[in-house]
Amino acid sequence: MPAEKMDDSGKEAGISNGGGLVYEEGEAEESVRPEDLSELLAAGTKESHDKAENTQFVKDFLKGRIRRELFKLGTVALYFTYTAMEEEIERNKEHPAIAPLYFPAEIHRHEALARDLEYFYGEDWESQVSCSPAAQRYTGRIREVGRDEPALLVAHAYTRYMGDLSGGQVLKKVAQRAMKLPSTGEGLNFFQFDGIHSAKAFKQLYRSRMNELDLDEPTKERIVAEANLAFQFNMEVFSELEEIGKTLQDEVLDAGMPVHGDVQGDISKCPYYNTKMAASGGASYACQMATAALRHPTGQVLLAALVAALAGLVAWYLM
Amino acid sequence: MADSEVESQSPDPGAVEEPLFTTLDIVLFTFIVGLLIYWFMSRQKKEEIPEFKKLTAVAPPVRETSFIEKMKKTNRNIVVFYGSQTGTAEEFSNRLAKDAQRYGMRGMAADPEEYDLSELSRLSEINNSLALFCMATYGEGDPTDNAQDFYDWLQETDAELEGVNYTVFALGNKTYEHYNAMGKYVDKRLAELGATRIFDLGMGDDDGNLEEDFVSWREQFWPAVCEHFGVEATGEESSIRQYELVLHTDINMNKVYTGELGRLKSFETQKPPFDSKNPFLAPVTANRKLNKGGSRHLMHVELEISSSKIRYDSGDHVAVYPINDASVVNKIGDILGVDLDTVISLNNLDEESNKRHPFPCPATYRTALMHYLDVSNPPRTNVLYELAQYATDPKDQETMRKMASSSPEGKALYHSWVLDSRRNILAILEDMPSLRPPIDHLCELMPRLQARYYSIASSSKVHANTIHICAVVVEYETKTGRTNKGVATNWLKNKVVTDNGHKSTVPMYVRKSQFRLPFKSSNPVIMIGPGTGIAPFMGFIQERGLLKEQGKEVGETVLFYGCRHRGEDFLYQEELEEFEKAGVLTQLNVAFSRDQEHKVYVQHLLKQNKEHLWKLIHSENAHIYICGDARNMARDVQTAFYEIAEEEGGLTRTQAVDYIKRLMTKGRYSQDVWS
Repeated sequence: MPAEKMDDSGKEAGISNGGGLVYEEGEAEESVRPEDLSELLAAGTKESHDKAENTQFVKDFLKGRIRRELFKLGTVALYFTYTAMEEEIERNKEHPAIAPLYFPAEIHRHEALARDLEYFYGEDWESQVSCSPAAQRYTGRIREVGRDEPALLVAHAYTRYMGDLSGGQVLKKVAQRAMKLPSTGEGLNFFQFDGIHSAKAFKQLYRSRMNELDLDEPTKERIVAEANLAFQFNMEVFSELEEIGKTLQDEVLDAGMPVHGDVQGDISKCPYYNTKMAASGGASYACQMATAALRHPTGQVLLAALVAALAGLVAWYLM
Repeated sequence: MADSEVESQSPDPGAVEEPLFTTLDIVLFTFIVGLLIYWFMSRQKKEEIPEFKKLTAVAPPVRETSFIEKMKKTNRNIVVFYGSQTGTAEEFSNRLAKDAQRYGMRGMAADPEEYDLSELSRLSEINNSLALFCMATYGEGDPTDNAQDFYDWLQETDAELEGVNYTVFALGNKTYEHYNAMGKYVDKRLAELGATRIFDLGMGDDDGNLEEDFVSWREQFWPAVCEHFGVEATGEESSIRQYELVLHTDINMNKVYTGELGRLKSFETQKPPFDSKNPFLAPVTANRKLNKGGSRHLMHVELEISSSKIRYDSGDHVAVYPINDASVVNKIGDILGVDLDTVISLNNLDEESNKRHPFPCPATYRTALMHYLDVSNPPRTNVLYELAQYATDPKDQETMRKMASSSPEGKALYHSWVLDSRRNILAILEDMPSLRPPIDHLCELMPRLQARYYSIASSSKVHANTIHICAVVVEYETKTGRTNKGVATNWLKNKVVTDNGHKSTVPMYVRKSQFRLPFKSSNPVIMIGPGTGIAPFMGFIQERGLLKEQGKEVGETVLFYGCRHRGEDFLYQEELEEFEKAGVLTQLNVAFSRDQEHKVYVQHLLKQNKEHLWKLIHSENAHIYICGDARNMARDVQTAFYEIAEEEGGLTRTQAVDYIKRLMTKGRYSQDVWS
């Protein structure tokens, strides 16, 4: 999911220490670098951010071209990501680099994601979902950072939460329409921040807290690098989803039917897809089911009963 | 043979499954089953599996790219183009296209990306034609993806659009700087190109209530269209009830709502967590007048929250659910000749709708008018339009319809007779004696009574069990000689402090805000809060005081307060002077606006302190907080800061504006303002 869309131009006015004039005589604007972590991050990740926004997955999503199956898998990836991140934040909540940014009631998402997964997969969703390879690499790094250098968790939190609070509402509406999800919000709890009245005000508060952290220059630079790494992990998850999407896509295109906006990518609505499944795919699947059932003692009993019943019917008819 | 084959396999101990069936078993079984299946199948109709031939690429049907031709072919006179990203504008367009039928016209929604918009100049080829635009603004005032080409064309073209009728509805979000830029541009540009605008640009704000904006705009839009084309609205248009009235003559009163917002009996058995649907009934433990003189009444109210488990931070807001004045409600009942204690339900005629009732039902009319409906604000024009039919005097009816119309005289009349004169529904009923609507229709039309939000005037670290409110009672004379009273403030004012016998409660919950002291107490804070804007700063200062007591390093704590007269409305004077003496408030600056000939306001004091303020802001990482009036004070204070940045920081105005804007983005310049 795309990260923060900047709502200011990020132009730098030089800030000199020690009061008085903002610019000393003859000083050019560009010669003084900003010190605020929020500004360093915004500038330092701009390229990654633009790249992420322009991945095919994101562009398609924004146009409403998102299949339910893919959205579900995306939600699964988010679940594992946020669970890892929020557990590490919780573990480190007294750490001086984490405490000022500790807002569980306002921004933590893993519970909302669990509710969404329950909606999509049913009550036993936990046994149905698993952490994909790309998500594993992402969460692995988060765990590593939480263990070895908690200050870098800020980078991961910034990358995800600032983004969620920026594009979030737009994405929610897109997803709702594309997949005809109920207007009461099921399946989209992730996008709903009940503890935040104004996303804009919260982001400003979050930035002020980031800037209050006591960090030396090298640490700030490492945080920016880690944020770029976080963007990278996110893009890998998108790519992974895209690949999966292609295998779904193939079957629709087989029918030679142009993908029209109205269908909105909900593959179960495609008449050709359904027919094809019935005609070809169904048989082998049924066979597998049958042999599996037969291995089970209950299956054998049922089969015996079935045979007996059939024999009885035949006998009755012939009599 | 099969058996020996099976037995001759040398099994790894425990590793091989016992074969289920021998080969012979399987053969016999399959034979029998096969016969049976064949027999069954031949008796039933064979289920059709469609012949699935591999399709060669089917040539798509030739798509009409001329919307004019399509309109002619399908006999439509109205086309609704949508610039939509998330589908909302598209949905609105579909609804508008459907609406057309009610007025004897035919509409079609169209994606501008699929048609050649330069054909707009041909629209006059169709009789009584109209082009509607539902345009959403995206990002930094940009068109949506599907409207990009249209936008480019508008900019480059010099087409002549005489005879083209149009109207625009804009969708956007007020929190963005370029609010509705796209809608505004289309509306302006089409006029520049010579097209005829037949109704005002509609402005939808997603930060408020986009749906409501759309619906109220639409209700006036269609009458304007009818007027323009000389078309009569078909009869069904005149009164569209959304709800059906059901009278409950014999109902168990336990099933009747008496003011709850969510679960029935949630006021009797209170269960946390407390929120907007489930407020906590907080006892009132203090209620005193703050000002020493003057005609206004400023009050300090304390609510007891210890049994609720409610937590809050200084800077948060407390939401309270007020009740309307009983005498106003009784008068409405009298004037309409209704027994207000009748138990009723209003059920939505649209069974698909999520909104079953306009307010919790079943309830009495009295409960609805006291607890659920807003009867104090001047009604909107759509309410007047719906009620007009109930005016038996034709002149009254005409006046009502006129005020609801979009004509300039009608709008002017509405502004003067309703808005400027601050006539609420009761006043309208009193001043239009022939207007006697059925009370259930009235209840359907009145908007919901909203909760009121107050900045909490205490710190939970100092006052864990109470929430303090600082508010000014609203009361004023209208042009009609009536006295209008603010619903919540008057209701709060009359709350008697809880003692052993009588328990006064306020249904409330806490809404978290992002108005917060800096994390590091060593950071200086500059607070500007004239009048009741002082409220959150009482909490801030209490908290800074506590931190100082605890031995923490506390940065400078500077307050700029303003009021009319030192002797009258210097709120919390004693407390603030105590804090100053104790060194908690390092600077207390008060502007008394009316104590001298010329007006002195907080922004003047800011300028007087510009050197010190600039040092705090530029070199000591001070956080700035503004609380109070949005319209004038906040704007004037911001200007003062621009000037300080210019004068002390040697910046140009543009650089100063940018500097302050960056402080806002970084959360060092926060506002809690209201209008």
